[in-house]
Amino acid sequence: MMEQFQEWAQERHSYAQEWKKQTGGKVVGYFCTYVPEEILYAADILPVRILGSHEPQDVTEPHIFGMFCPFCRDCLAQGLKGRFDYLDGIMIAQSCIHIRQAFTSWEMHLPTDFSYYLPMPNHVQSKRATPFLRGELEKFKGAVEEWTGTTITDEKLNTGIDLMNTNRRLQKQIYELRQGGNPPITGLEAMYLTISSQTTSKEDHNREMERVVSELSDRSTGRSIGTRLMLVGSENDDTEFVNMVESVGATVVIDDHCTGTRYFWNESEPNGGDPLEEIARRYVDRPACPTKDWPDRTRIPHVLKMAKEWDVAGAILIQQKFCDPHELDIPALTKAFHEAGIKTLFLEFDVTVPLGPFRVRVEAFLEMLSDEDLF
Amino acid sequence: MVSIGVDMGAKNVKVVVLRENEVIGKALVTAGLDTEGALKEALQSASREAGIDYDEVGNITATGAGRKDVPMARDELTEVGAAARGALFHFSDARTVIDVGAEEGRGVRFNAEGRVIDFVINEKCAAGAGAFTEAMARALEVPLEEFGPLSLKSDREIPMNAQCAVFAESEVVSLVHAKTPKKDIARAVHDAIASRITSMVRRVGVEERVALVGGLAYNVGFIDSLNRDLETEVLIPPDPEYTAAIGAAVVAAERGAKASEGGENS
Ligand code: SF4
Repeated sequence: MMEQFQEWAQERHSYAQEWKKQTGGKVVGYFCTYVPEEILYAADILPVRILGSHEPQDVTEPHIFGMFCPFCRDCLAQGLKGRFDYLDGIMIAQSCIHIRQAFTSWEMHLPTDFSYYLPMPNHVQSKRATPFLRGELEKFKGAVEEWTGTTITDEKLNTGIDLMNTNRRLQKQIYELRQGGNPPITGLEAMYLTISSQTTSKEDHNREMERVVSELSDRSTGRSIGTRLMLVGSENDDTEFVNMVESVGATVVIDDHCTGTRYFWNESEPNGGDPLEEIARRYVDRPACPTKDWPDRTRIPHVLKMAKEWDVAGAILIQQKFCDPHELDIPALTKAFHEAGIKTLFLEFDVTVPLGPFRVRVEAFLEMLSDEDLF
Repeated sequence: MVSIGVDMGAKNVKVVVLRENEVIGKALVTAGLDTEGALKEALQSASREAGIDYDEVGNITATGAGRKDVPMARDELTEVGAAARGALFHFSDARTVIDVGAEEGRGVRFNAEGRVIDFVINEKCAAGAGAFTEAMARALEVPLEEFGPLSLKSDREIPMNAQCAVFAESEVVSLVHAKTPKKDIARAVHDAIASRITSMVRRVGVEERVALVGGLAYNVGFIDSLNRDLETEVLIPPDPEYTAAIGAAVVAAERGAKASEGGENS
């Protein structure tokens, strides 16, 4: 039932190429989920997220220091290897310096027709963040209009907002089905669902979600659920890892990843006529990435609330090696989880993860969680 | 009741036979490629030493990397859980166990019942593990069994920077060229491993008392360095390499008792 999402995620390049052929439209690759896709959709552009491929590579060394996170190097490698040759443009919204390095390198070495850096404010807790971002979105809209030679009307913007909001609402609805005792989808399926939402036209994606959502509530995966786990971290599209975790007696029921809930958790609210402000507010208010979670730490209560509502027994804290923003959150998250009686397992991810040694840790972790029943 | 613990390691199969909380038989067989044969041999020789009939065995629990390949085991336990239970079997006041084998180093913190509270396992690099000592002893041309005692003779601290076994070897070679006495180099090597293990174990919190098990528990040089680093006196059980098998046997006994309490077949 969920196969289509997996296929889209796995065949994302051929999907985008096919989309281009069919529509004659432009495709923009984006590097961070703070990119306002609404505006791209309003211009009939297909936004696709640039993600890595989890293969060892040797092409980024001249461009990015080894102590930048493996994710940003893996992303750049995809460009250098020509896997995104179909892109007409690229863009990023300011979040962390690592992924910006990948963007800048890409811009230098793989020139496209259109390239845009959106200064998404870091201080989202400031009163001025929304008006500031609104102004930046106006500029961005202008740049897109100039590039495409079309005008983006408010009506078009509203269509973009609707498309994005529908996608968010449906994804959240499906994720909420995992709250119950017998989640109808596995963590792996959820991961494919969200990855594909970042690489597929939202129109297609929404249609497919609408098709499955009503049937899902009666679905059983036919496997034993085992221990309910949460995954927490930056980006994580390591399907092999989730698959391994779910093969040793656990089910991932919820996450806080930008390839997961952080991407779609909140919708934009209608404000009576200023779509750009609506969009700006949505990105300012979304579940924060640690690069933007200052001075208040809103992420920690948000994550804990999800952990409780999805009734998890343990959380795996995933750290992309050298990812400073998330590394900074790990001690506070660990403490908060432990105080809430939820045990954590910390794992450091690289482009490829050592599945064998990780299995040893995950199994020991699950045994630790189930100890109460044993003794 | 008699219970059996099998530790199916990467290199050796270890079997322990337990009766009323007492080890009555044990065996260690190097597996090579024929793990099945080694398992059989270890089971037979441990049972022979214990003088038991197979019918007397209430429960068998397997641990170790190859624990899925022990068909006669009724259940299993991870290496982490087994280290905790094994350490507690010997020392009721132990709350942390450090287990350093050929390729892996582990730290496990547990409570008075042997429930694991937190654990850590070394990352990919070999510098934290026993294989590192072997490589360094080879580089110094010192027989492995003399490597530990040799380092006790040193009273000099030479910091080693290398984090990886290959670079460490070249560091050792430079020390040799600088005419540094072998005893001091031996100590530098043990200090370096102890320091890596200590910083790893501190991630889970070191709670007294600390037991050291696994192959490196035979190395007096390493023990000395570790004691200095942890500012404690680590506990060394008899036959430290059997600790995980003992832990598995203890759990086998508990689970066996629980099952028979709940009636047949439950
Ligand atoms: S937030 Fe972390 S994982 Fe994401 S790009 Fe930045 S450093 Fe890499």
